[in-house]
Amino acid sequence: MSKELIRLRDLTMEFDGERILDRINLYINDHEFLTLLGPSGCGKTTTLRIIGGFLNPTEGTVIFDGKCINELPPYERQINTVFQRYALFPHLNVFDNIAFGLKVAKLPKEEIAQRVNHMLEVVSLKGYGHRNIGSLSGGQQQRVAIARALVNQPKVLLLDEPLGALDLRLRKDMQIELKRIQQAMGITFIYVTHDQEEALSMSDTVVVMDKGRIQQIGKPEDIYNEPKNAFVADFIGESNILDGVMLEDYKVRFFGRTFQCVDKGFAPNESVDVVIRPEDIDIVEPENGHLVGTVTSVTFKGLNYDIIVEFKGFKWLIQTTDYQPEGATIGIRLNPEDIHIMHKSEYSGMFGDYSSYSAEYDELTADAADEEE
Amino acid sequence: MKKMNQWLTVLIFVFLYIPMAVLIVASFNTGKDITQFEGFTFSQYAELFRDEDLLNLLGNSVLIALLSTAISVAFGTLAAVGIHSMKAKMRNVVMNLTNIPMTNPDIVTGVSLSLLFVFVGSGLLGQRESLNFGTLLIAHVTFGLPYVILNVMPKLQQMNPALTDAAMDLGCTPVQAFFKVIIHEIMPGIVAGGIMAFTMSLDDFVISYFVTGSDFVTLPVEIYTYTKKPIHPKVYAMFTLLFALIFILVLAMNLMQIRGEKKRKSDKVDSKGVMIARRVVAAILAVAIAVGCGFLIFGNRREKITLNVKNWGMNMADGTDDTLDLIAAFEEKYPDIDVKMSYYESNEALFSQLSNGGITVDVIIPSDYMIDRMIKENMLLELNYDNIPNFSKVDEQFRNPAFDPENKYTVPYTWGTVGILYNSKYVSEEDVTGWELLWNEKYAGKILMIDNSRDAFGIAQYLLGYDVNTTDKAELQACADKLSQQRPLVQQYVMDQIYSIMENEEAYIAPYYAGDCMIMMENNPDLKFYLPQEQGFNLFTDAMCIPTCCKEKDAAEKFINFLCEPEIAGANMDYICYATPIGEAKEHMEEYLAESEIIYPEEEVLESGTAYAYLSEEISRYVENLYQEATKISASGSQEEESEGSGAVVVALAVMAVAAVLLMMPKKKKPIK
Repeated sequence: MSKELIRLRDLTMEFDGERILDRINLYINDHEFLTLLGPSGCGKTTTLRIIGGFLNPTEGTVIFDGKCINELPPYERQINTVFQRYALFPHLNVFDNIAFGLKVAKLPKEEIAQRVNHMLEVVSLKGYGHRNIGSLSGGQQQRVAIARALVNQPKVLLLDEPLGALDLRLRKDMQIELKRIQQAMGITFIYVTHDQEEALSMSDTVVVMDKGRIQQIGKPEDIYNEPKNAFVADFIGESNILDGVMLEDYKVRFFGRTFQCVDKGFAPNESVDVVIRPEDIDIVEPENGHLVGTVTSVTFKGLNYDIIVEFKGFKWLIQTTDYQPEGATIGIRLNPEDIHIMHKSEYSGMFGDYSSYSAEYDELTADAADEEE
Repeated sequence: MKKMNQWLTVLIFVFLYIPMAVLIVASFNTGKDITQFEGFTFSQYAELFRDEDLLNLLGNSVLIALLSTAISVAFGTLAAVGIHSMKAKMRNVVMNLTNIPMTNPDIVTGVSLSLLFVFVGSGLLGQRESLNFGTLLIAHVTFGLPYVILNVMPKLQQMNPALTDAAMDLGCTPVQAFFKVIIHEIMPGIVAGGIMAFTMSLDDFVISYFVTGSDFVTLPVEIYTYTKKPIHPKVYAMFTLLFALIFILVLAMNLMQIRGEKKRKSDKVDSKGVMIARRVVAAILAVAIAVGCGFLIFGNRREKITLNVKNWGMNMADGTDDTLDLIAAFEEKYPDIDVKMSYYESNEALFSQLSNGGITVDVIIPSDYMIDRMIKENMLLELNYDNIPNFSKVDEQFRNPAFDPENKYTVPYTWGTVGILYNSKYVSEEDVTGWELLWNEKYAGKILMIDNSRDAFGIAQYLLGYDVNTTDKAELQACADKLSQQRPLVQQYVMDQIYSIMENEEAYIAPYYAGDCMIMMENNPDLKFYLPQEQGFNLFTDAMCIPTCCKEKDAAEKFINFLCEPEIAGANMDYICYATPIGEAKEHMEEYLAESEIIYPEEEVLESGTAYAYLSEEISRYVENLYQEATKISASGSQEEESEGSGAVVVALAVMAVAAVLLMMPKKKKPIK
């Protein structure tokens, strides 16, 4: 990775006395694909709008290329944005939408035409220039919005949930497309989403946010494998989170048993959160298991089954390819690398219990989040 | 249910559009009025386009409407954008404040604007003429502005707010963002608001009436003063054209909107035609604005002297119906004088306009008792009779009248009597014995009564043998009793409407002015005129005077002198049908008028006529109150027709209310499968 391009220093934002952003500190490198990930209301869009210049932070500074740009209006920043619902200009056709920024900059006509046509090719919309915006599909509008921003050759492109309005299939295609465009153009992308899968598959760096604070910054793999607290563990993928006690380095006790683990550096007998990913759990015969429990529900998910297993009154989610009927008694084994230990945090006890699990739960919350935006 | 809805919709449309249909039919009618449709003709339209004055007035109205619309649209849109960017609480407060002028009664707005303009103009700036084109324009902008704001606001609220961000993101300053993006989004609101402001301005009467000066008069204000005689059918033609214009405008706007919606969803690019149409509209607006500005800048710098004459409506020959165009003749004789006519509909209205101030008027022609009052209140200038040599042509008997005993302020213009017009087909001659004819129960329901307190009390006073200028409250009360006694017999209290009612024989007996009666008698030979000589009758005089707000006294005296030239006076009387005090003029008018005993009664008859004098303000108000009391419709009155009429209105309103409720009810939803 190359040099630092943007740095946010102690960024704080308040609306009507309510703190939306709480001392955000973050740097973004040139050519990086960075994602702000979090549930709705976590402050990710606010952060993006401050970088874009549409909001002035209550406190803190935005440094761009070594200079503070707090006072710079949006039209003077070398930053362009792809808005949530695209915000294409309905009175202009595709070509004029894309050419808008270049025309405002009063570039010569030939250059405008050449650059717009090139952009149309980049976003695979060659020959669509004369079309009206209303006649385009959602995915096509999306690509016009990207072209309109990129044609100005900004140093940074801000994308505010750009795929939120597309259906699943199109979303997957566009994820690949966006990554390709980012690599081809060599532009820094700052991407906002609440979809953890999107964040993990596209980003160089993921910033997990909640309640106006950064919870964790890291590479997608690190975020997934080494979540810093219960919130991150739960928000990124599925997690069973249990109360445990770190006896000493590499030894953790929960459910009345002591397990080997790979974590160290905790105080002796520190009470901790133990994360066990549902896909890491091996199902074995009851007599060979570390723990024995009863299957209470089974849901077919295509790639695997989601089964809920009750251990001593606690319900765990286990993802397995082996079908287990409801009511079956099964044993499980936990390898040391399957167990991840976290310090206790304000989120402890709030996540990772599947007692009220339902297969539709995730989709429902995702929809609700969409509607809020 | 659905069928019924459709029928009700049709009914509502009929209800809404029938008045316009009647007007349109009337504009093509060869007959005298709407009650008798005789044949189809375009002649009213031809006549309309020959009438320069009327077209000028229309031009004035259109000009002021276009200009005020342009200004309202510009400022209203900016204001809406400003209000939109406020916080919600503040926005609501401001929106309510901008809505108030719209719901405020026009009359209140009009009076307060007039007060303001006179205060600022005359009081602070020392202008002689504080009401002018500029004030009229400002007034129209004040009521146009809220409509623009009200129409633009919802468009701003509907607009995706990210569009502004997107424009700024792509390099637009806020101003550029407005012109390149926002304005396109809110254009339908701007156009709708503009059209509303335009139509409101075009037909505004109430507010304009109070802020109109003498230099610029709009059509509705002028039409209102045409009350002495019925509206000429060419005015129907003009209104039909106006209606058509507005109709096409609204239709075009809706079509454009529909096309716009379609276009957004289709692939079509703007056709050349649409582009050209847009350019044309823009060009027309630009020209109108340029013309308006030109008028503002150069309009007041005329080399010519402007002579402002205020007269009764249709009280001076204007070239229609083969009469002399008197103003044109005067302007031909004095090319450096430009006559501007404006009108008033009653002596009292003239009085209040003059006493409100802020206007320039050089010549007025009020009636006797009002002149009396104006002299007493120092509102008239003394005339220089050396400049009016034709005063010598005025017959001796009309000099030194009671209202101007030393003849220092006035030159008589017309005179006439108030008598009884009756239809000899229905009224037997032996009943025509005096004013009591108006109380004859035989003709109950077929009697019309003159609708102004002074004339009505005059008639009662002649009948009861009182002095017409009495201030004795007991006598006045007796007159009021007499009038309320008459109330059940009276079909209607009327002024102008008398023409059609009497000509069509819907009523048989009515008191009215001799000159007007003459015109009605030409149209219906069964009508006869009677002057109750023994009891007495009103002999009225209208005289020309110069008010103190006059600016061009020399020109005013030239004009008065010109009107006293026998040839001119004669030709003028051919048009207005009143009697002239210029004896020689009879040689220059149509014989039947000159020899008419109705217009010029015998001298011995005239001796029993008396003139009204000005009563004190207190007595005038007392009389007015008594009159209103005496002629009020009583709840148990025998006015069957009226109660029938109001019944019909109630039924119609009820039908509309039911229809509205039915239309608003949601349609039954189909079951979802």
